[in-house]
Amino acid sequence: MSQLEIILPSKKYKQRATTFLVSAIVVSVACIYMKFNPFGFFAEFHYVWDLLGDMLWPNYRVLSDNSSLVWSILLTVSMAYLGTLYGSFIGVILAFLAASNTMPYKIVRMIAGAFLSLMRVIPALVFILIFVIAVGPGPFAGMLTMVIATVGTFGKLFTEIIENAESAPGEAIFSVGASRVQVIRFSIIPQILPSLIANVLYGFDVNIRTVIALGIFGGGGIGFEFQMAKSVLHYKDMTAVITIMIVLIFLSEKLSNYLRKKILGEGKLR
Amino acid sequence: MGTKKYSFKRYRKLLLPLILLLAVTEGAAIVCGATFEKLLQGLSKGLSFLLYMFPPDWSAFAEMLQPAVESILIAFLGTVFGAILSIIFALFAASNLSNKYVRSIVRFLIGFERSIPEIVILLLLIAAFGLGAMAGIIALSIGCIGMIGKLLGDTIEEIDVIMMESMESVGANKLQIIAFGVMPQIMPSLISYVLFRFEINIRLSVILGAVGAGGIGYELEYAFGLLEYHRALTAILIIMIMVFGTERLSLMLRNKIKTEGVLK
Amino acid sequence: MIEVKNLTKSLPNGRKLLDGISFTVKKGEFVGILGPSGAGKTLTLRCLNGLLKPDSGEVILEDEKGLKHDLCKINKRELRRVRQRIGVIFQGYHLVKRLSALENVMIGRLGQINTFRSLFYGFTDEEAVEALKALEQVKIANMAEMKTGTLSGGEMQRVAIARAIFQSPALLIADEPISNLDPSNAKIIMKMIKPLSANIPVVGVFHQPEMTAKYCTRIIAIKDGKIFYDGDPKLSNNMLAEIYGEELSQIEQQEHAIPMVAVN
Repeated sequence: MSQLEIILPSKKYKQRATTFLVSAIVVSVACIYMKFNPFGFFAEFHYVWDLLGDMLWPNYRVLSDNSSLVWSILLTVSMAYLGTLYGSFIGVILAFLAASNTMPYKIVRMIAGAFLSLMRVIPALVFILIFVIAVGPGPFAGMLTMVIATVGTFGKLFTEIIENAESAPGEAIFSVGASRVQVIRFSIIPQILPSLIANVLYGFDVNIRTVIALGIFGGGGIGFEFQMAKSVLHYKDMTAVITIMIVLIFLSEKLSNYLRKKILGEGKLR
Repeated sequence: MGTKKYSFKRYRKLLLPLILLLAVTEGAAIVCGATFEKLLQGLSKGLSFLLYMFPPDWSAFAEMLQPAVESILIAFLGTVFGAILSIIFALFAASNLSNKYVRSIVRFLIGFERSIPEIVILLLLIAAFGLGAMAGIIALSIGCIGMIGKLLGDTIEEIDVIMMESMESVGANKLQIIAFGVMPQIMPSLISYVLFRFEINIRLSVILGAVGAGGIGYELEYAFGLLEYHRALTAILIIMIMVFGTERLSLMLRNKIKTEGVLK
Repeated sequence: MIEVKNLTKSLPNGRKLLDGISFTVKKGEFVGILGPSGAGKTLTLRCLNGLLKPDSGEVILEDEKGLKHDLCKINKRELRRVRQRIGVIFQGYHLVKRLSALENVMIGRLGQINTFRSLFYGFTDEEAVEALKALEQVKIANMAEMKTGTLSGGEMQRVAIARAIFQSPALLIADEPISNLDPSNAKIIMKMIKPLSANIPVVGVFHQPEMTAKYCTRIIAIKDGKIFYDGDPKLSNNMLAEIYGEELSQIEQQEHAIPMVAVN
């Protein structure tokens, strides 16, 4: 009698087994199509071993021999910094144009929103390729790419932050005769500032990694040095560069967290 | 009215950081060779080049479909195997499951992996195994560990110890506690993290493709290399569709999970 | 029957948490352990199923066949086997929230099921039917397929009782099972635990003297790691004051905020 109220485990087992089987088949077909053998990684592990042999131990003399390496570190950090700064600036402006509570004209919102979506959906790779052709290879192209990439990554997020600001304080000010711009300045900006700053600092962290990756495509900076060392098979130099990358990323994370705590922990008193 | 001038005194606190900010910006600008006008110039140059790339080469569309599928599959397989790896790492990275020494080591490895850009991992794998999808899939799999491993490890740690003690007290062993206690509790979060990572992996698949993993990223780079910019634009359009489509799909599935609280 | 002999446990700084705890509980008895916070009640209970190993002493469980096991001395595998015969009910939400009530009951026998089979197949239909019977005994068979997380506190504890019933245990221990429940649910739970003591010894830690007075057959009061009182469940007001007295007057002395050490 009460048997009807429960789902028998054997049925659940059949469901699970079927799901697992179907998934396994899908994955296997994909692997076969891509000629990928997951076990090949382990079977052919000796290649990794050989490579490690070539890569160790890192050759840190590249730092002293090659002054361009130190310069490239500076480049990388600057690109990330400027890209984050300008990108956030442009991103915030566009976000205000795209947010429903700060832009009353639907047409402007739609255009701004579409623009932001466009930036977001196109990977940074495309932009670096374009800018390398438009302004030549090097850190300038890298920086421009970072600006656009930052707008892409954070544009939509900023829009959401703005839209999530509470309207009550703004309406209160509005009702005593403030203009729309004043509402923005006194109601919305104080509310979103902490979140904005947190995201910008986080953006710097993310952007350092992107800059490094872009360097390989001609963006300059440490990524470029890495590619150089690798292409001439100077693996020990390459490893040294990799460790520098790791240190850079680690430091930027620490810096980003520290600044976030410092600025937001105390609260920006206005 | 009594006040004649607006007092700027309250902004005094901001003065030092602001000066610092300006100084750093100036320095960085000099290093990159970029001033604000040059920035705008550069952006407009980029824009004009982009316009120059129009119209896309429509005939190339058909040719590029297969590479697009390849990129998607690379991202898919990378995410699948990456998820499996991440679950294993996460189980060892949870303080309520493993002893503190193992946990510290695993957490360090996860953090270490996060510090290495996926592109670097790919290049190393190419140096070891050669060009192709294999290097791309493995690179993406390893790349998942830093994100999913950490998030999942934190999620597991949020499970109340008393639940696991209750199971242990009736005789369940570690594996059973994981299978019947931990896994059901983390399923919704796990699926959410995996879907989110899949979005990221699609973009990465494009970038890694350009470097040597194949797929549409490679097509894009190739087209640029041949100076065939209209063809390149076709590739860009396909990439946009891929990324956008994946985003929508991922969002839809994640919302479905939130409302239904996971399918099985 | 469960026989506890001379349990001791000390902190590294020398403070004694358990100081020679000894008692015996036979089938037919429903023992309530009372005492001020930090006295060692929960520690004692945890020694009863091996979650805590004392510095010295013995905990001997004798099942209906006459086999004896000293929980302080057995190895992990044997401990798992012994735990199959011990039912537990803890405080708060200690069941797996995302699994159904039925599945939580069946978890009770995980110790008896071969690990391999439990992981790859799960539970059998026969086990499910029996588990449903256990749920019927606690009168929530109609909620068998509901996720435990959606049940109320009282309903969840009933599932825990059903799980214990499903194990056919030789001993039932409960750590503050009703502390999180409202009075009517607390009564229901006590009413359901009591009949189980007819066949097996039941030992529970409680903070509700009025409940233990009504349902327990015997009370053991622990204070400062020692047994302070062992006998009739109906405690006089004087006795209560002596057991909890220091604690109450400490709270009343508001000049000194004495931190309560919650030792678990």
